[in-house]
Amino acid sequence: MKGVISMTRSALLASLALTVLAGLASHETHAADQLVTDLSKHQISIRSNFTGTEILIFGAIEADDPDNLATERDVIVVVSGPSLPVTVRRKNNVAGLWINTEAVTFERVPTFYAIASTRPLTRVASAETRTVEGLGFDQLSLGSVTGHGPAGALINVTAVERAAFTEALVRNKQADGLFRTEPAGVAFLGRSLFRATVGIPATVPNGLYTAKVYLVSDGKVSDVASAPLYVVKSGMERAIYAFAHEKPFLYGIFAVVFATFAGWAATLIFKD
Amino acid sequence: MFQIYLPIAELPVNIFLILGMGASVGFLSGMFGVGGGFLMTPLLIFTGIPPAVAVATQANQTVASSISGVVAHWRRGAVDFKMGTMLLIGGVLGSFVGVYIFSLMKALGQIDLMISLSYVIFLGVIGSLMLNESIRALIAARRGQSAHSGGQKHHSWIHGLPFKMRFRRSKLYISAIPPVAIGFFVGILVAIMGVGGGFIMVPAMIYLLRMPTNVVIGTSLFQIIFVTALVTVLHSVENQAVDVILATLLLLGGVVGAQFGAKAGQKLRGEQLRALLGLIVVGVALQLGMDLVLEPDDLYSLTLEVTP
Repeated sequence: MKGVISMTRSALLASLALTVLAGLASHETHAADQLVTDLSKHQISIRSNFTGTEILIFGAIEADDPDNLATERDVIVVVSGPSLPVTVRRKNNVAGLWINTEAVTFERVPTFYAIASTRPLTRVASAETRTVEGLGFDQLSLGSVTGHGPAGALINVTAVERAAFTEALVRNKQADGLFRTEPAGVAFLGRSLFRATVGIPATVPNGLYTAKVYLVSDGKVSDVASAPLYVVKSGMERAIYAFAHEKPFLYGIFAVVFATFAGWAATLIFKD
Repeated sequence: MFQIYLPIAELPVNIFLILGMGASVGFLSGMFGVGGGFLMTPLLIFTGIPPAVAVATQANQTVASSISGVVAHWRRGAVDFKMGTMLLIGGVLGSFVGVYIFSLMKALGQIDLMISLSYVIFLGVIGSLMLNESIRALIAARRGQSAHSGGQKHHSWIHGLPFKMRFRRSKLYISAIPPVAIGFFVGILVAIMGVGGGFIMVPAMIYLLRMPTNVVIGTSLFQIIFVTALVTVLHSVENQAVDVILATLLLLGGVVGAQFGAKAGQKLRGEQLRALLGLIVVGVALQLGMDLVLEPDDLYSLTLEVTP
């Protein structure tokens, strides 16, 4: 632990900057431990039989001092999907009916965000570290917000409202299984090896994901490593999706012709 | 096991659940001679299929079920093509308006409300009327009287309209405006509710246009084929929401179910069938109405602005 404790804040920031620049795989610093990590697979293919999957993130901590046990540190694993705008709508009782009234659009919301750690996040990393690194549902940077009234007119979003809508966003994402937290999801194997399993639900959106591993000592991040993960539709699923989105008119015609043929075939099969 | 991932709805469903739903609704539609879209769309939404996908896919499936239905009526000469064409002209215009309203409401975040409200209002009204009429008929039949719906030969305001046309098959000489207007109105509903619209068109044809009952179903099916085909294409272009895999599963179940339904339907009397159908329709309307009136578990809901 000595090396890490003696590390100054600026050195920490410098090392962080370096990790970002160095493509985050592994890097050279003097007084810090290093991470070596990989994923069980770098591509998740969504085929017709896809019902969700799991990815295994594993790695080793190369301690600067061999006497230091890896288990005295903490590891946080974050798997996040591409960020897209999301609109959160709130229902109100209007004349006895529950109707969507106010809406708040967040500019960038991760389509998927799973965070696993060796211990509960608040005990692993300091509040400052969590804010700087954007760790945890409450620390996500969601971009700018725009509010809309019932008729679509722009409205001002107060801080209180923003908090309420953000909380609702996280709650709904969790309910859909797209925001997940595993407070004891990272396990150490022996002196330096660790592994984490992150569940990927069937409703996972497509795109380029990032699996990021943080090594934390005394509440501060001492190394970061990251690896890309592709979630793509493949086979027939990909062909149909691409057809529907790239040539929507032809796809519609195809759907009608297919239905016509199927309806006609049915009359031949069940002729009475 | 037995799960299949739907490429457009972007979620996995149980194959047998969807086949079973197709078969059950197909059974009812074979039994009552209705499209069954009004039952299938809420069922799909209940299963977790996004409303836009449910509506668009159901329209696609209705193309197939109407074609298999119309063939039998056409063989019997029970399709008034001229009347069907007039309904269709209105239907085409109506579906453009309907798909436009659909996209607008989707952008405003009110599409779910729009779909639910349409269902509650139309199913509620039609179901109550049907139930009321069939119960009277049942009571009358028990008393040994023939239920006579009076005013069959009354000349209504409809006969005063211009652009009169002769519809031979329907033995009518009426203005072209009412069929076009009915078609237009139903076209809007097809686009918004994902139904064939037969449950509105059939009573309108009987009670407003005074068409003979034997050509009504065949003619409405004829019109429904084209309107649902158009709606399928419009929804594909506007919302990319037609899921062919889901449509195929519904179709397979539906075709088989309809055959058994038609056989079961022959064992029941007309008023009994209408009373039963009326009960089901009112039940669906009540269920959807409850969801609008009762406070939801979570007042907030999410919409992804762009699909990845």
